Amino acid sequence: MSGRIAGLDDATRGPRELIEFTFAGEKVTAWAGDSIAMALWAGGTTAVRSSSKNGSPRGVLCNMGICYECLVVVDGRTVRSCTTPVRAGMVVEPGGRP
Amino acid sequence: MSVDDTILDADVGIVGAGPGGMAAANVLAQAGLSVVVLDEGMRAGGQIYRQLPEGLVNHGKIAEPPSHDGGHALLERFAAAKVTLVSHATVWDAAPGKLWFEHGERSRLLRCRHIVLAPGGYDRCVPFPGWTLPGVVTAGALQVMVRGFGVVPGRRALVAGSGPLLLPTVTALLGAGVEVVAALEASSRWRALRAAPAVLGNALKRREAMWYARQLWKAGVKLRWGWTVFACEGDGRVQRAIIGKVDADGRPRRGTELKLDVDVVGAGFGLVPSVELALRLGCTSRFDAARGGHCVVVDEQQRTSVPGVFAAGEICGIGGAEVAAAEGQLVAEAVIALAKGSTVSAEAQRRAQKERKAADTMLRAFAPLPGLAELARPDTIVCRCEDVTRLGAQQAAQLHGDSLRAIKVGCRAGMGPCQARICGPSLQAMATGDGRRAMDLPVVQVPVKPVRTETMLDAPT
Ligand SMILES: Cc1cc2nc3c(=O)[nH]c(=O)nc-3n(C[C@H](O)[C@H](O)[C@H](O)COP(=O)(O)OP(=O)(O)OC[C@H]3O[C@@H](n4cnc5c(N)ncnc54)[C@H](O)[C@@H]3O)c2cc1C
Ligand code: FES
Repeated sequence: MSGRIAGLDDATRGPRELIEFTFAGEKVTAWAGDSIAMALWAGGTTAVRSSSKNGSPRGVLCNMGICYECLVVVDGRTVRSCTTPVRAGMVVEPGGRP
Repeated sequence: MSVDDTILDADVGIVGAGPGGMAAANVLAQAGLSVVVLDEGMRAGGQIYRQLPEGLVNHGKIAEPPSHDGGHALLERFAAAKVTLVSHATVWDAAPGKLWFEHGERSRLLRCRHIVLAPGGYDRCVPFPGWTLPGVVTAGALQVMVRGFGVVPGRRALVAGSGPLLLPTVTALLGAGVEVVAALEASSRWRALRAAPAVLGNALKRREAMWYARQLWKAGVKLRWGWTVFACEGDGRVQRAIIGKVDADGRPRRGTELKLDVDVVGAGFGLVPSVELALRLGCTSRFDAARGGHCVVVDEQQRTSVPGVFAAGEICGIGGAEVAAAEGQLVAEAVIALAKGSTVSAEAQRRAQKERKAADTMLRAFAPLPGLAELARPDTIVCRCEDVTRLGAQQAAQLHGDSLRAIKVGCRAGMGPCQARICGPSLQAMATGDGRRAMDLPVVQVPVKPVRTETMLDAPT
């Protein structure tokens, strides 16, 4: 089970801001500062797209922006979910071909 | 910080805010030069000193090795230095005196008299059956999850691969409360002993090794030498890993397999230097297997073959944070020498050479094992962007020739957006069945990292 490491909050600032967005039509709760990929992963979603060639599910491989396996579509634009920060109300769809 | 200007001017433009780029920026700013640092990440630190997002504090939850004290000091000095750091800045092309980058969905240009390249490196992947399943990631990816985002990667993890980076991956997982079911180093214990002189001859590396040994012992995790991951299985995501022994060359010894229930796998077989921007600039490079592949060639003052272009850290060959910081200091002195007619200190040169020598000794003991190319079966996908199997790559090599370019033309492997960063290091070895086969120099395409089409069309000149 994936999730969040407890007890990392900065006591001087209070709890972090929660943000909501949708992925494939489902509501996802994230923290400000998350990448799309990490918000999804923490909620248990590891597959973010399927390969357009053989249809197999794909997700994060490098988590640092170099492999392009984690592509999703945000507002009609294909982006790397591991390097794109979440924004409130963002509409995220699974990506297609890299 | 974020910037509004489309065109920025500075004496020095630095790519990368890791230990190499930060050390250079600190010294350059102190000498009164104007410095802009561009980094794709959210905050400064680079790979090793990656920071949690604003608003999160480690509180000692994720244990850090002794060497990170130096990293905290470097970060503090960098935060206080008179330097412009532009985060979320993806540099997608370069020419002498010019760095084109995307930031805040806008196309921008940094004009600078001197360029310092410190873009670091990335994990070396070795394809094996099931490595495309969600939940199977690089060792580095797991570190980013834990230390960069405070995310728990899973409940039961397997860590496999080769080289010193497996240890911080294991301790990051332990810090996140993950059970590390197995930690597998493909090199044999005897081969790894070659690294001993580098560790024993350096007080910090000795303390570091002891620290990791203690962390693993406390958690009851035993590093298995001469073992690796053979395959991963699962329905829609990884659920099981098949592990087994490898021979001295890394070839899988079939018949030694064990099955483990896991929900996350981190596989990392060393690192590869990020040389794309340097190649775009026309810098000379050289293949060095132990240093991770194609490395940018620099002289004793970190100058590349192109006037005004300098390089420091992993881009000159994988070496670790101490090498990067020492070369960052040296590169700054070399730029200052050029700008102000001063001389480079013997101390900075000596330190960089000493760190580099120790790192080379260490890495030779973990140089990529040729037999690992045999982990991939004929139907294993090797190029993930184009879904090319090993058999497909073999047929392309037979028909068109075994150069990287011929294989690409024959089966599209390496044509996708990752520009062969993932499949490249092992593609020719797998296509030819010759694991010692060095990788050809990749052809760099612009943009070196995909950016929006408008960014390229609107690029200021
Ligand atoms: C995931 C990962 C984890 C690691 N963990 C450890 C560890 O725990 N211990 C250890 O000793 N070593 C670790 N290493 C090795 C590490 O690379 C070095 O120790 C050290 O970070 C190298 O410093 P550097 O300055 O050369 O590059 P890096 O620290 O890699 O910094 C390079 C920076 O350049 C940026 N960059 C690259 N290309 C571009 C571009 N085109 N545009 C904009 N920005 C760009 C990157 O975002 C990055 O922040 C790790 C490496 C990786 C990949
Ligand atoms: S996981 Fe590799 S680019 Fe996002």
